[in-house]
Amino acid sequence: MKESTSSTKHRKTAMLLSLIPGVGQFYNKQILKGLVFLILAVSFGSVFFQYIGFGYWGLITLGEIPKLDHSIFLLIDGIIAVLLTLMGLGIYAFNLYDAYHNGKRRDLGEGVNSVRQQYHNLIDNGFPYLMISPGFFLLIFVVIFPIIFVLLLAFTNYDLYHSPPANLVDWVGIQNFKDIFTLDVWRSTFFSVLTWTIVWTFGATTLQVALGIFLAILINQKDLKGKVLFRTIMILPWAVPSFITILIFSGMFNDTFGVINRVILPMIGMDAIPWMTNETFTRIALIMIQSWLGFPFIFAMTTGILQSIPEELYEAADVDGASVFQKFFSITLPLVLYATAPILITQYTFNFNNFNVIFLFNGGGPALPSQNAGGTDILISWIYRLTMTSAQYGKAAAITMILSIIVITVALWQFRRTKSFQEEDMM
Amino acid sequence: MKKNWLVLLLVLFVAMIVAACAPDREEQAEAPEGSTNTEEAATEEKPEKLVIWEDIDKSAGWLEDAIASFEAEHGIQVEFKELNMADAIRDQLRLDGPAGNAPDIVTLPHDQIGQVVTEGLIQEISVEDDVLARYSESSVSAQMYNGALYGLPKATETPVFIYNKALMDEAPATMDELYTFSKDFTSGDNYGFLALWDNFYFAHAVLGGMGGYVFGEGAEGLDREDIGLNNEGAVEGADYIQQWYSEGLFPAGIVGETGGAAMDGLFNEGKVASVMNGPWAFQGMRDAGIDIGVAAMPTLPNGEPMKTFMGVKGWNVTSFTEYPYWSTKLIEHLTSDEVSLARFEAVSEIPANVALVEEPAIADNEGAKAVALQSQYAVPMPNIPEMGEVWGPMASALQTIATSKSDSKSALDEAVDQIKTNIETNH
Repeated sequence: MKESTSSTKHRKTAMLLSLIPGVGQFYNKQILKGLVFLILAVSFGSVFFQYIGFGYWGLITLGEIPKLDHSIFLLIDGIIAVLLTLMGLGIYAFNLYDAYHNGKRRDLGEGVNSVRQQYHNLIDNGFPYLMISPGFFLLIFVVIFPIIFVLLLAFTNYDLYHSPPANLVDWVGIQNFKDIFTLDVWRSTFFSVLTWTIVWTFGATTLQVALGIFLAILINQKDLKGKVLFRTIMILPWAVPSFITILIFSGMFNDTFGVINRVILPMIGMDAIPWMTNETFTRIALIMIQSWLGFPFIFAMTTGILQSIPEELYEAADVDGASVFQKFFSITLPLVLYATAPILITQYTFNFNNFNVIFLFNGGGPALPSQNAGGTDILISWIYRLTMTSAQYGKAAAITMILSIIVITVALWQFRRTKSFQEEDMM
Repeated sequence: MKKNWLVLLLVLFVAMIVAACAPDREEQAEAPEGSTNTEEAATEEKPEKLVIWEDIDKSAGWLEDAIASFEAEHGIQVEFKELNMADAIRDQLRLDGPAGNAPDIVTLPHDQIGQVVTEGLIQEISVEDDVLARYSESSVSAQMYNGALYGLPKATETPVFIYNKALMDEAPATMDELYTFSKDFTSGDNYGFLALWDNFYFAHAVLGGMGGYVFGEGAEGLDREDIGLNNEGAVEGADYIQQWYSEGLFPAGIVGETGGAAMDGLFNEGKVASVMNGPWAFQGMRDAGIDIGVAAMPTLPNGEPMKTFMGVKGWNVTSFTEYPYWSTKLIEHLTSDEVSLARFEAVSEIPANVALVEEPAIADNEGAKAVALQSQYAVPMPNIPEMGEVWGPMASALQTIATSKSDSKSALDEAVDQIKTNIETNH
């Protein structure tokens, strides 16, 4: 009983004292740790106090005097200030927790760790955290920071006429999103681009996956001679940089001078096809090119999986009198999909944002009457157009956000489905 | 209880920071306002040095001499750096300017002036009338925006008629002659004349010559409400353009984003008798071993000369310089007749100085002479930011006209409608 009454005192006092970082640790007689906390807090405060304050002011106002205040720089300062505050608060919270925790140990009569013990504690339990922290710290500024920047940009009116240094950028709430869905020009273009983006994603990806799996199974036949040669040939499209392949295809598909209209089509008795100037044909060409670029990866992966499927399964199926198709649909395909599903999903998300092939093949063209995006522009290449030709940075950021939400939702949903799929007992 | 205290403390802390840190800058804000006046030479100190950004590969052989003579006269050092003029200078200035590392003088293509002035990157300059009288009127007007002067012209360029001397004896005087020649000459892969008339930069020559215009002249510079790209003349011009494509004189293979490369390739293989292209193309053609002749564009069927677009490269004083007066003095020196002549001899860019037209170095140079001649009829590309909305829709319209997917009138009407909507939504 005595102990428990005294116990309340230690942990509470230590924690309250630690409101000034380090003092609680002194109270717990952990002088070194207390010093570290105190010095950390004092230096953090004295170095960053002004900066953080200025950052918050900038983040809220985005500047008040044009030419003197640069809204975008202020926005960046503001985000860094928020990140710094969060880090500071994290350390502060840890300081409070530590004082409370050690106070509690004292209350329970366990005694506090000596410096040596603390060191061993850190090395034993904290080692992984210690090791990932530099990488994580870098990640905050290289990945998280730009994401927050785009996120915030979507709620500003940043465009040519609100460009610093001559003018200030202002917060406009959800105006950009409202405009995209209510103004006629934006809405019609957005939905037509979105439709093609979805058709493109599913068409191109499904075709490249199907082709890859089909060829892998074909070449994996037991009786086939020269497997190595065939496999090498099938991997070749992957070995050429896609950048170069696309440019070459773009020349081959040229309406008048391309080898396809000049040599290949006449050879099989067909007329020239307007590949580059009719949007339907450009779309077909794009889907074919992407299949060409994408199938070797699926092919290589599937080949690996096929070789690991135990032969006994097929022997057993033969004994049961299964047909070729039954063997394929009941053994091969499920096992291949089981192993590759997560990678197939990344193929879909990759094509959803496949800027290279769209941009390099025909620049998002051909032009369509009454639309400000080209006939084959997908969302990401349209965003590029918006920022490069119209300087609509705020709107482009808003569309980027919508696009990310779509990709993230689909990816999450599919990954969760695959997980449940994987948990089924396959073998 | 404890939690409430904590929350309260946190809120207080943050509120305190935000309230305390709005920077107090009353006095500072006044300073830049007064100092921008270039007239007050007396109040402006002589700088130790000025910094120039010149286009890439364009400083060798003249700039050092020009700098030396400026330093001898005024005792001001000048440093220079080379950066790609098309976009790098503008993009770099956006970042370096507010950060305090901006140069005093940059070179920019004149069609970016509206944009960079709106963003506040370059400033108005004032020069004596006798300085302005040195340059051709149209090149000075290209440096004006909203009635104010923002730079001095350094070089001009405009598309001209380039022919292969092996295939064509002399340049035709009229398009009718060229049409007859082309009808005769064109067969298989050989073409009498090629031009990228699905690209508005080149097509404007025809539309403009027939009476179309991009923006009408208003009281203060260009009138963004008055678009003349679907008037009678423009439609006539578009019909004329369509005729060249539909009769097979221009192949469909030079339409679209990749058309330029296809055209250059054909010309350099010696399959094309003549093309419409800018002075930047001369060197490549000579390198390919073609003996080229250059002349002004032939006159249109209505007897009018082609109204080609003129590009003017100019020297501009940045908003970030502390020495606007001396920077202006320096660009006056850089565009003086002697320096301009030395620059022409070094880099073959045709200066805008009137006095140099008669100069033997330019008058005896076939290419320079043709450009100078064509410049008399050329109009500067509009430099207002709204011009950014014209390229896309016009390219779409011209492409649909070239491929006969739509008739001239309706395609141009649609383009103008779209330009107007885009200007309304984006500007």
